Amino acid sequence: MKAKWLVIPLALVMSLALAQQTVVLKAWTIGPDDPSITRMTNLQAAAEKLNADLAAEGADFRIELDASFDSTDWDPYLRRVLLAFESGEAPDIVQASAALIGTWAAGGFLAPLDSYVPQFEQFADMVPTLWDSVTFQETIYGIPQDTEARPLYFNKALLAQLGWSAEEIASLPERISNGEFTWDDVLATAKEALDKGVITEGNGYFHRPKNGPDFTQWYRSFGGQVFDEASGRLVFNKAAALRYYSWLAEAVSAGVLERDRLDGSWDRYHQTVTGGDVGQVLFFSGGTWNWAEWTGMVADKGGQDWLFENFGFAPHPSWQQGGSPVTLSNPQAYMVWTGSENKDLAMRLLAYTTVPELDAKHAVDSGHLPILMSTPGIIDDRFTAEVSYLLNFTTFQPPHAELSKWQDALYQGVSAVESGDLSPEDAVETIAAVMQRQLGDQVIIR
Amino acid sequence: MRRYAAPLLFLLPATILIVLFFLIPVVTTVFLSLTDISTVTFKNPSWVGLQNYRDLLVDPFIPKIFYNTGRYVGLTLLFNVGMGLVLALLTSLIPERHGDNFRTLWLVPRIMPPVVYVFVWQGLLARAPFGIISDLTGINQGWINSSPWTTIILANGFVGASFGMLIFTSAIRAIPRDLFYAAAVDGASTWQTVRRVVLPLLRWPILFVTVYQTLSLLTSFEYILLLTDGGPGLFKTTVWSLHAYKLALSNYFGNIEFGLGAAMATFLVVIGVIVSLVYMRVFNFRELVSEPKIEVN
Repeated sequence: MKAKWLVIPLALVMSLALAQQTVVLKAWTIGPDDPSITRMTNLQAAAEKLNADLAAEGADFRIELDASFDSTDWDPYLRRVLLAFESGEAPDIVQASAALIGTWAAGGFLAPLDSYVPQFEQFADMVPTLWDSVTFQETIYGIPQDTEARPLYFNKALLAQLGWSAEEIASLPERISNGEFTWDDVLATAKEALDKGVITEGNGYFHRPKNGPDFTQWYRSFGGQVFDEASGRLVFNKAAALRYYSWLAEAVSAGVLERDRLDGSWDRYHQTVTGGDVGQVLFFSGGTWNWAEWTGMVADKGGQDWLFENFGFAPHPSWQQGGSPVTLSNPQAYMVWTGSENKDLAMRLLAYTTVPELDAKHAVDSGHLPILMSTPGIIDDRFTAEVSYLLNFTTFQPPHAELSKWQDALYQGVSAVESGDLSPEDAVETIAAVMQRQLGDQVIIR
Repeated sequence: MRRYAAPLLFLLPATILIVLFFLIPVVTTVFLSLTDISTVTFKNPSWVGLQNYRDLLVDPFIPKIFYNTGRYVGLTLLFNVGMGLVLALLTSLIPERHGDNFRTLWLVPRIMPPVVYVFVWQGLLARAPFGIISDLTGINQGWINSSPWTTIILANGFVGASFGMLIFTSAIRAIPRDLFYAAAVDGASTWQTVRRVVLPLLRWPILFVTVYQTLSLLTSFEYILLLTDGGPGLFKTTVWSLHAYKLALSNYFGNIEFGLGAAMATFLVVIGVIVSLVYMRVFNFRELVSEPKIEVN
């Protein structure tokens, strides 16, 4: 009789011991563009698959993914991540620009992943050069999540109004690619469009309205070098910077570039670019992901069909005839926090996320480019197919822990020149002095 | 000792608050400012002594930022206190019902969340067709970038003026009516009454508003951050606290220099203390808080 009473607590204890455990994995992701929500939903889809496999394996635990997607802005997101790193309460997985790996790895916040990568066959499908973007001091600190290109878009309808023939418009990307059409031609064309009233003042050329990695590619397109591989130091090329700043100053004084282009408003950028019947800006630098955003914005005008009819894309031209055009890829990566207690599971989840189906879904839905070699084979999307060639001209941001200071200084120069604060010559000297002071022997000024 | 027991007990809550929210942060900030702590060195910061302060001294932009801070605080203060005073006087001179309504209107910017308030300014000042001013005047430009200082001072001033307005209004109402009657009997005009009766009696509230606003303006930067982000160009509207914030907490590319930011913040604490002492001397604080020589019942 007594034994009967023992059975109940025993059964309770047994059932508790055998109960399925739940391992919570936290992941933070960011767009900030809305369509990039697949950076989170792909993780969720992978988690479902992983749980199904865990069930099949008879594992006594399941994972629960606590994921968030940030659509505000980089600055508050990065601050949140950093404060979480520092307070020891970071998520297991953080997605951010691969270029941040240098800084965060140097700070000791990221787990080295070299030993994990060979364990999962999914990673063998990665486009090989992308591993470079997540490698800092010969150690892998991230799993590439996507990549993209940052094209120079042009408005076909406005070029047609300017008198360009259909052939001339169609051949523009090729003429830029082979170095025939330069930044000077962009400026001359924009001036002509302004003189002929095809565009209104300031709408000849748009670039992003705030700080970002793109300024590096434009400096490069004017012949600038950012990084010296041999010494591992950053480089500031004064002659190239002067060419870039002078071009901006001339564009502003000619009335084809707004003096207050750096007004911080993406809304105004997008609304002007896609405004009116055919769009209102002649040339505009953007990213491939903008295409996905614009598709939503012009839905009532015809969506992608309207975009293909009115917008074209090319790499950014060189400053000189016969020079090489450039674009910049700023790949995103998933990183694993060094303090995570579930690094193995986090890596397994990332392996499940790095598969062609999810890669393709993200690429097509958000206007990014695939990271896996087998993905293009399963994608049937005109934009992805047509824009992918830009990767032939792509450059990456260099892996340097102090890169941010270099980028901030270059950007301050742009802002000073466009606002009329400094002449291009003074800006170059000022920025060179700033870099020298802040970076010391970590920068070579030429 | 017993004699002091009650006063000490009453001082305790305030003392705890001051220690927790002023002294400890100041000590922490000073300590951080003597290290090279940043994102990169977070786990192994090293002691660098006064190096951060030396870096600030040789930074060619620091004089500009210092000048900007003076300009921002001085001009905004002038607008805040002056406008607050004008509003208080005007709304006290008109019938009370209208005065109250008018004052309520001036409180709207203060009760609005800063981000929403800045959206309103951006809506006013953007290029056409987004901005109302550009639309109305036909001068199509980004007004924030073309007149950044005016925008910042007005945006801050419209919020700040209501503070002085409320304090001054209540102070004016507290003036015994007899003094106004006496002035009227002596044949004083409105201006003379204001000049000879009201303003001298407002000295204490003016001191309070000036000191309070100076100190809060020295550390406030949210409207500048949202309106111009310290630009356009090279630090055109960057003030000390904004620069410290950017160094210590905000960087687009993720490398944050806490040590340098802390050095700037420490400097601001010193400036704040000096400014307070100067104000107390100029306005003869000791006399203001002394016991009244006569007592009116």
